[in-house]
Amino acid sequence: MSLRTYIAKRLLHAVLIAWGVMTAAFFLMRLGPNSPADKYIASLGAGHNVTAVVAAIESRYGIDKPLHEQYFNYIASLLQGDWGWSFGTSMPVMELIKTHWIYSFQLVLLSSIFAIVLGISLGMFTAVKKNSRADHIAAFFSFAGISIPHFWLGIMLILIFSVKFGWFKTYYDTSLPMLSLENLHALTLPVFTLGTGMVAGYSRYVRSAMLENMGKDFVRTARAKGLPERTVIGKHVFRNAMLPVITIIMLDMSGIVFGGAYITEVIFGIPGLGWMSLKAVFADDYSVVMAVTLIGAFVTLLFNLLADIAYIYLDPRIRYE
Amino acid sequence: MDSENGDKAILSVSGLRTYFFTKNGTVKAVDDISFDLRKGEILCIVGESGSGKTVTALSLLRLIEPPGRIVEGKIMFEEKNLLDIPISEMQKIRGNRIAMIFQDPHSSLNPVLTIGEQITEAMTAHRNLAKSEAKAQTIELLRLVEIPEPERRFHEYPHQFSGGMKQRVMVAMALACEPSVLIADEPTTALDLTIQAQILDLFMELRKKFSMSIIYITHDLGVVSELADRIAVMYGGRIMEKGRRDDVLKNPLHPYTRGLIDCLLSESEKLASIPGTIPNLIDLPEGCIFHPRCISAMDICRTERPGSSKIETEHYVYCFRYGGR
Repeated sequence: MSLRTYIAKRLLHAVLIAWGVMTAAFFLMRLGPNSPADKYIASLGAGHNVTAVVAAIESRYGIDKPLHEQYFNYIASLLQGDWGWSFGTSMPVMELIKTHWIYSFQLVLLSSIFAIVLGISLGMFTAVKKNSRADHIAAFFSFAGISIPHFWLGIMLILIFSVKFGWFKTYYDTSLPMLSLENLHALTLPVFTLGTGMVAGYSRYVRSAMLENMGKDFVRTARAKGLPERTVIGKHVFRNAMLPVITIIMLDMSGIVFGGAYITEVIFGIPGLGWMSLKAVFADDYSVVMAVTLIGAFVTLLFNLLADIAYIYLDPRIRYE
Repeated sequence: MDSENGDKAILSVSGLRTYFFTKNGTVKAVDDISFDLRKGEILCIVGESGSGKTVTALSLLRLIEPPGRIVEGKIMFEEKNLLDIPISEMQKIRGNRIAMIFQDPHSSLNPVLTIGEQITEAMTAHRNLAKSEAKAQTIELLRLVEIPEPERRFHEYPHQFSGGMKQRVMVAMALACEPSVLIADEPTTALDLTIQAQILDLFMELRKKFSMSIIYITHDLGVVSELADRIAVMYGGRIMEKGRRDDVLKNPLHPYTRGLIDCLLSESEKLASIPGTIPNLIDLPEGCIFHPRCISAMDICRTERPGSSKIETEHYVYCFRYGGR
């Protein structure tokens, strides 16, 4: 089986799983006692024929139809590229996602770069300096970093660096041009909030993977060849240590995107997908919640696939046959 | 201190002690050993598992890792004491002037690098070579160690090689800089019997071609009788007897050497064996380390450590029965 067939097979799996997730999300959403019309009614005030208004809204958006019919209609429009209509914001879901995804993307991208660079460096350093004072200090901060919840860290950072020192704004300013230093500055605290836990986790994974490989026989061979320690660690140990680390980082990524990033967005008022979906959940905005759930499933599956493909390039022993 | 015929020795070890400082106590893995390696000869270090052979070999290249440490001794090579030079200078000797082949070829090669890369690297670590030149030389080395289709194999990974082929790769790697000393630590132990013979043949051939001095570590007296010019018998981190092959094999003096040879030559149905087991290296017996298992132990053996006695030219034994003071 070639790599191409393998990827095709995995993509087919991904579609099937995404369909399962979509179905589950669809019916779970509708188990709730609320109707999307409720919020609209609440805003109308007294004197209206509530039943008539609800019926009108529900019939307009097709949510008065039997559940199975709604389900098939939803699939049909999905297949045509129509993600539905957002009741809460009165615009197509597609438009909504187009405006908001970039904010999540830049946050996750910057945090990942920050975490991967710092996490790997710290992991390598502490592995080489095993049991030194620096290692113990790094271990302390790593465990602290892993344990601190995002919402607490974010709020503390705002309190100290925005409120007390006034170095940053207390909220994210969307008027800044995306590719500018000002924007980077504005994202400092959010990236730190989201990235700290990642740095802490990655540095521990890298450290243990490095230490595990440092004791291997081929490392002794590398030293016996007369290679400088820099090459022994940076090439022979590192290349092997990266195998498990890449997988962990890839699998971790979906958790970062759909866990930490959402909370971070809400804390800093960044209008990304997380912030958007939180609003949608409170507004019973069915189509938006569905869309975000589906994207989540796809991104998770995509990272899993990427981890497998990365493995092929990193570990010559692995062939998907 | 016995630097017998020190002038001819290319590598001269004296008073080497390598200890491991573990939680349970100090393991005296190598405890005051001395030997010389001469130009162009094969010195076989023989002993059971745990007798300190491998630690001796690793000490020569200063590859001992914590909790182990070379406590004292002298390793003279090319007029330098290898234990005195800075690590950067040691790195210039490793793989270049003194190369080593390890016991298990399966774990001794890096699984994620091509074997071509791993051999080339041994070369370029010590020489300024263009990439294409290093590659050409590597392919030549692969041909020398009789790996078929070297141009194709150059780009393959260790898992695509059999055990015997991997050990050939290790040999090629060790020869990359044409070292003057080659240390081979039980290079055939992890291989099938038929493959063992092939690797041994390769050794004999290469030795002629390169006129290297070889330290060959083994527990196999059959290999020793075929390969060795001289022999050092180790037990419990110490040398018991050393000398020219024929002197040691045909006229073994130390009760331990005799026991070893009896094990090999025993013709009766039942295999001969030396009673007892090798000593616990943390809690060494007083006096001669072999006395608890020795059939001819005397009172003095229990309290004092024997020194070397010269029996003939180059034949030394560490035993009170032959003087030992």
